[in-house]
Parts: sequence; C-alpha cells; structure tokens
Amino acid sequence: MADENDKKKAQPPSAAGGPPKLDRRDLLMGLSTVPALGLFGYAWSRQQQYRSGKEAAAATAPAAAAGLQEINVALLGAGAQGQVLMEAMLRIPGLRFRAVCDIWTDYNQKRVVNTLKRFKQEPNGYEDYREMLDKEKQLDAVIIATPDFWHAQHAIDCLKAGKHVYCEKEMSNTLEGARSMVLAQRETGKLLQIGHQRRSNPRYIHAYTKLLGEAKLLGRIVTVNGQWNRAVTPDLGAPERYAIPAEKLKQYGFKDMHQFRNWRWYKGKGGGPIVDLGSHQIDIYSWFLGANPSGVMASGGQLYHDPQTHEWYDTAMVVYDYDTALGPAKAFYQTQTTNGSQGYYESFMGDQGTLLISESEVNYPGVLFRDPNAPAWDEWVQKGYVSAPKEAEVKEKSDSGAVADVRESVAPDQHTVPVSLRDPYHQPHLQNFFNAVRGQGTLNCPAEIGYETAVAVLKVNEAIEAKNRLAFTPGEFKI
Amino acid sequence: MNHRPGTPEGGIGLAGNRESGPLRRFSHEAMNTVFEVHAANADARYAAEAAQAAFALVDRLEGELSRFRPNSDITRLNHLTAGESARVGEAALECLLIARHVHDLTAGAFDIAIGTGLPSIEIDADAFEVRATASGVRLDLGAIGKGYAVDLVAELLEDWGVERAFVHGGFSSAIALEPPPAADGWPLTLSDPRQPSRVFCRLSMRQAALSASGVRKGDHIVDPRTGAPVRGRLAAWVAVPRPAQARDTGPRLAPAAVADALTTAFMLLTLEEIEALCERSPGLEAWVLPDGGSMETTDLRHFGGPADEGAGILPGPTTAGED
Repeated sequence: MADENDKKKAQPPSAAGGPPKLDRRDLLMGLSTVPALGLFGYAWSRQQQYRSGKEAAAATAPAAAAGLQEINVALLGAGAQGQVLMEAMLRIPGLRFRAVCDIWTDYNQKRVVNTLKRFKQEPNGYEDYREMLDKEKQLDAVIIATPDFWHAQHAIDCLKAGKHVYCEKEMSNTLEGARSMVLAQRETGKLLQIGHQRRSNPRYIHAYTKLLGEAKLLGRIVTVNGQWNRAVTPDLGAPERYAIPAEKLKQYGFKDMHQFRNWRWYKGKGGGPIVDLGSHQIDIYSWFLGANPSGVMASGGQLYHDPQTHEWYDTAMVVYDYDTALGPAKAFYQTQTTNGSQGYYESFMGDQGTLLISESEVNYPGVLFRDPNAPAWDEWVQKGYVSAPKEAEVKEKSDSGAVADVRESVAPDQHTVPVSLRDPYHQPHLQNFFNAVRGQGTLNCPAEIGYETAVAVLKVNEAIEAKNRLAFTPGEFKI
Repeated sequence: MNHRPGTPEGGIGLAGNRESGPLRRFSHEAMNTVFEVHAANADARYAAEAAQAAFALVDRLEGELSRFRPNSDITRLNHLTAGESARVGEAALECLLIARHVHDLTAGAFDIAIGTGLPSIEIDADAFEVRATASGVRLDLGAIGKGYAVDLVAELLEDWGVERAFVHGGFSSAIALEPPPAADGWPLTLSDPRQPSRVFCRLSMRQAALSASGVRKGDHIVDPRTGAPVRGRLAAWVAVPRPAQARDTGPRLAPAAVADALTTAFMLLTLEEIEALCERSPGLEAWVLPDGGSMETTDLRHFGGPADEGAGILPGPTTAGED
C-alpha cells in the first residue's frame, strides 16, 4: 500500500455522541477503541448521529422555513401512485400528514403509515374516507390517488367537507363524474388541482412561455406527433397473505384481487392505456396548440393481452383535428403495450422548427431543430432560451471572401432546451397546489382544464368503438 | 443449458442447472446491469408477479439513487454548494448512513464522495436532510446501491411469501434467502476474474449476502485516501449473514449493502487490516485475490467465517482450476 503512514488523525467521539472516527492503527489493533461497533452499527448509532447533525443544521437553518404555515394533509389512496406522490411530498417543507386512507389496510396503508412515521409524521390510518373526514377535522387538503372510478365521489365529498383537493388524473372515468367535480369545486370555492403534472414542469413551462410564446421558434405548428410505448409486463399481483377479503372488495366495487390490482384495464373502473398514459400528453397537445380538438378518429383494439382481464384497448392510434389561431393542425398519438421502444415523447412540428420534448429527464428531455431557412436563433441562444447549437463554430466562414469553406459534412443545427427538473417528477405540481393553498399563486391545472382534457381523451375510446370520426363541439369543453 | 454466466468482474456464479425442478428465473435490466430473481416456487404465475413487483422496486430505487438521473436525490445533493442542504428520501438516506458507517469502519478506504471525501456532507437523519460542507460534492452510490436494492428485494419477496429465493444485481451483489427444497443452501461459486472457468471455491449459502469487486484488465480502482491507483489486488468477495430482525421496528439492517461497500474497501485495505476487521466482526467473511503475477502464483486468501450454524456460508470443497 502506498501510504502506510497515518495521514488522518484519530478524532475523539464528538460530545454529542457522533460516530467515532477511526484511524488505520485502530483498524490494525482490531478496532479496540470502539467496542461493539458492528457491521450494522449505523443502525444503532443513527440516533446519536442525527442529534449531532441537527445541532449543525440548527446553526445555519434558514429562518423562512420555520415561519412556513403548516398544511395538514391526508393521502386518500396509498397504492403505487399514492406512494409516488407521498415521496414527492416528503421533499416539500411545511406539510403535516394527518391521515392515510386505503382499503388495503394490511399492506399499502400499513406500509405508507410506517414510512411516514419514520419521517416523524404521525398519520392515522383509515379504511373508509368518510370516517377520515369525520374525525380529521383539522385537515386542510386531501391528495386523492384512488382508482379513476372513485375520483368523483372522493373529490366531491372532500370539497364539500371544506378541504382543498389534489386529484390524480384521469379526473374521472366518466364525463358526468368530471362535470360534477367542476360543479362541486365552484360550489365550495375550494381548490381542485388535477394531476396533469407536466403543467408545472419547468421545462414544459419554459417551452410554452418562452420558446413557443415569446420567441415563436417553431413558426406555425401544423403537425404534432407523440407516443407512449410500453413493453409487455405481467399483470400486477399481490402477496397472498395480504389478500383483501372478497366481501370487502365487493363493497368497494372490485370483483376480485386481480381487478383491484389491475383496475386500469377494466371498463367501468379505468380507461386503459389511452387514458393512463395518453391523457398526460394529449393535455400538452391542447395546451401548446392553444385550442381544444375539433374532431378525432382512432383505431385500436385488444390486439395482444387476454381480453377477459384487459377489457380496454391495449393499442390505440389516434388523429386529432385542431383549429388553432394560426390555422388547422393535425396531431397523431400512439400508445401500445407490447414494445417499449423509444418510450414516450411529444414532437411539435412547425414550419420553422421542431420541438421534441418529454417529461423524462433521461430520454428526449428537450431538443430543438431549426429549419435551415428559418430566422437565426442567435438572440435566443444569447438569452439562454435554447442552448448553442453543436457544431456552431465549424460553420463560421474562415475567409470572408469565400462563399463556403468546403469540408466534411456538417450536421444541421440541433439545440437543447436548457431547463431540467432536479426534483421528483410530481413535486412541482404538488408544490404549485400547496402554494395556492397558502394563497400564493394560482393552480396550473384547475378543474376546468382537467375537464377539457378528459373530454378530449375519453372520446378516443368512443371513436375506436364507433370506427368513425367523431366531432367535438366547442361547447362540449365548457361547463 | 445456460449455466454459470460469469460476469467480467468474475465474482459470483450460480452453480448447476438453473432451470431444473421448480426453479424459476426472472431477469430485468436496471442500474446498468441485469437483476435476477431465482425462486423455488411451485406457482409460476405467482412467482412472476412477485418478481415483477421486485423489479418495479429496483426501478424506483434507481430513480432515487442514480447519479446519472438528473432528478435523483443523489444528483440533487451533487448540485449543492457549500452550506446548502436538501431533503432526501428513505433510500438515499439509508444508503448514505451505511456508506458513512463503512467509511468509518474502514478508516476511509470506502468513500462514496469522490474528490471532496465523505466528511463533505452532514447527514441529519431525523429531518432526512443532507447538508454540504463543501462545494463540488460528487456522490456516487455505485458501490452500494445494487446491494441496497438486493436487500429491499429480499424483504419484498418475504412479504410475498416467496422465501426460497436467490437475488442478485449483475452477479456482483447477491443475497440468498431460504434454499430450494432438499438443499442446504444456494450453490454458488467464486471464480478467477481473469478466467471465469477457473473456480476457486464453491459455497452453499442461505440467509446471507455475498458481494464481489474486481478489476478488469486495464481498469484500476483509485484509493480515496491517497488519490492514487491501487495495484496488487485482483478481486475481493465479502459475505455478511442476514440478521434476524423484526420488521418495521427500527432502522433497516441491509447486509447486501454492507457487503457491497466492504468489497470495495477490501480492494484497498491491507490483508492485515482485512483480517483485523473480520476478527472484530462476527459473521463477516472475506476472500481476497492478490495479484500474484501469473495465474499459477495467485492464491485466494480467506478471512473470518460464519457467526453461527443457523445462517451464512457453508464452505464447499476448494477446487482451483476446475471447469
């Protein structure tokens, strides 16, 4: 070993009982100065460690955090999506979890409650949301991540109990349900945010306000193309020992554990992939185009999965007609569940450029292509709206008298969107909601917008069944 | 027959015919490698559902722990400047605490903070907050995250009642739960990273974690204490027994994460230091392959041993050179 001399000096255990620091002599002597420091010492020393950590943090903690008005929240629906939202909320200061409600009491509810307890939260667990609303009077807000067919009843009852509501998309599996949610929001005056979280994603906001709105980099958008492709996955199962009794499943609208776990595939419960996946992106189509669609045609079907347990279409290919302020546009969307190649993205194609964007920070996080005849983007590069193109310096003429410096071929301009998200995907949208609860700012996806998207998306399943183009009337999107 | 697919880093192989009897194998790409669940379970569909849930968990952990994900907890910490702090989730916090513990246990030979060193972060476990005391912190959980994922998968499989299972992430981080019926343990091999067909030793493992580190030809490991490349070590393996622990009470005991971190340190520590640590740590077992120059002069060194008969490693016959 190159360095046998002790460069580090042994540090005595700190006064607060922090982790003992060892030097190499201790190691050779068999850690004699640290009796019983086992392989899992981090577990028992965790107590002392955070105490010493806290003292250090207290000296530098920003004063603002202490003054933050605490919001009492409940999580209604503690399944996969509820847990994603919980994880994001745990990274947001100023929230106090008071309750967790889920009918899978022995598994998801218990796990989420236990996780929250480790974060020094003390939520009560409930099976019945009505009991929760009855007992948890101090709740300010309820986060709803139950299956789609429960959304309307859950959201409306929470609003009428005086709570602000963040409800996952799809707003409802029926337009009647979605409409009644909008009305309940208006009647109660409480906030209702729908979980189309791209609406709060800084990259999408940058693209909408700066790239499309101010700089108009794409010119007139005439076509849109997007997809969410997913590889084949087995149906979701459940640990046998935690199976929910049949009677209880029935009480909450599920015929068996398979339907409980895979409700997204069942008619009357969810809407299939076009709703689970497509809804997020079709929402962006309408947002970026500044219009709701005027018509839709779609082809799809149960091409691959067992139709007995996959009642909705596993494949959907959709074309929307739009009448935008700048003229007509067509938007294609595809979702399929047999091959995950190229994942998910949206591509907006204008007569002056293309924006390829996705929520993912890994795949297609934002690329712009400029049409070679479009005005230069130098101003927007300087302002930091788009990155400098790769190869920029190569294209500069080396001799002002020459038309061109002939060389190996140069790639066309490719810019990136220089905005990325450092937080979990749902965190900004939740933060937007909690800001609004505190009276700071307005919702990025209020009930009316969630409703417009539900109208556009739920019509796809109708169009597949009808095998016909279906028209929207402008009044259809309004309540 | 597809048996013993040795990893380029040598390390751990699963011996025997993996498709025989009720043994089922499920594979999933994550963390830049392939995770596998081997389950001795009669119900194929149930085992597949359990494996699917396990892989969803691994994907979630990758999203929180990978420094290559721009919005992971670790990336967020890597963007802190001196004095700033950020909240993290449970997975990142636990990995950081384990990493700090192994850092202390090995006097800094294991360090997830490249360049600035682990003292450049302060962990407030109570508040799930991490504060940078220096700018330019570059955390990398590459030497611990796979083990942590394997630990959590083991817990999940037990929840599902799939107790006869073996799980590994890229063959370098593994955990054996209960063995297949009529077996004492899961049959594993330790092999020469330069020639995977050269099996140093056969192990039968149950309720224990086993991890491997090694260098490929031309690669090197940097000693975080000196910044200099390490020479003289080809591979290291570490076994840690799975402690019996009542679930949902107290902090998680993560033997595969600990084993994972220790193998990295054991590529650097002297043999005397490794021996001392094994003597002080009941149940800790290690195998180290010094670079003896040629294949013939390379001897596997063995340290420590299982703490009790109930769990851990039952050594098989050592048969160097066997195919």
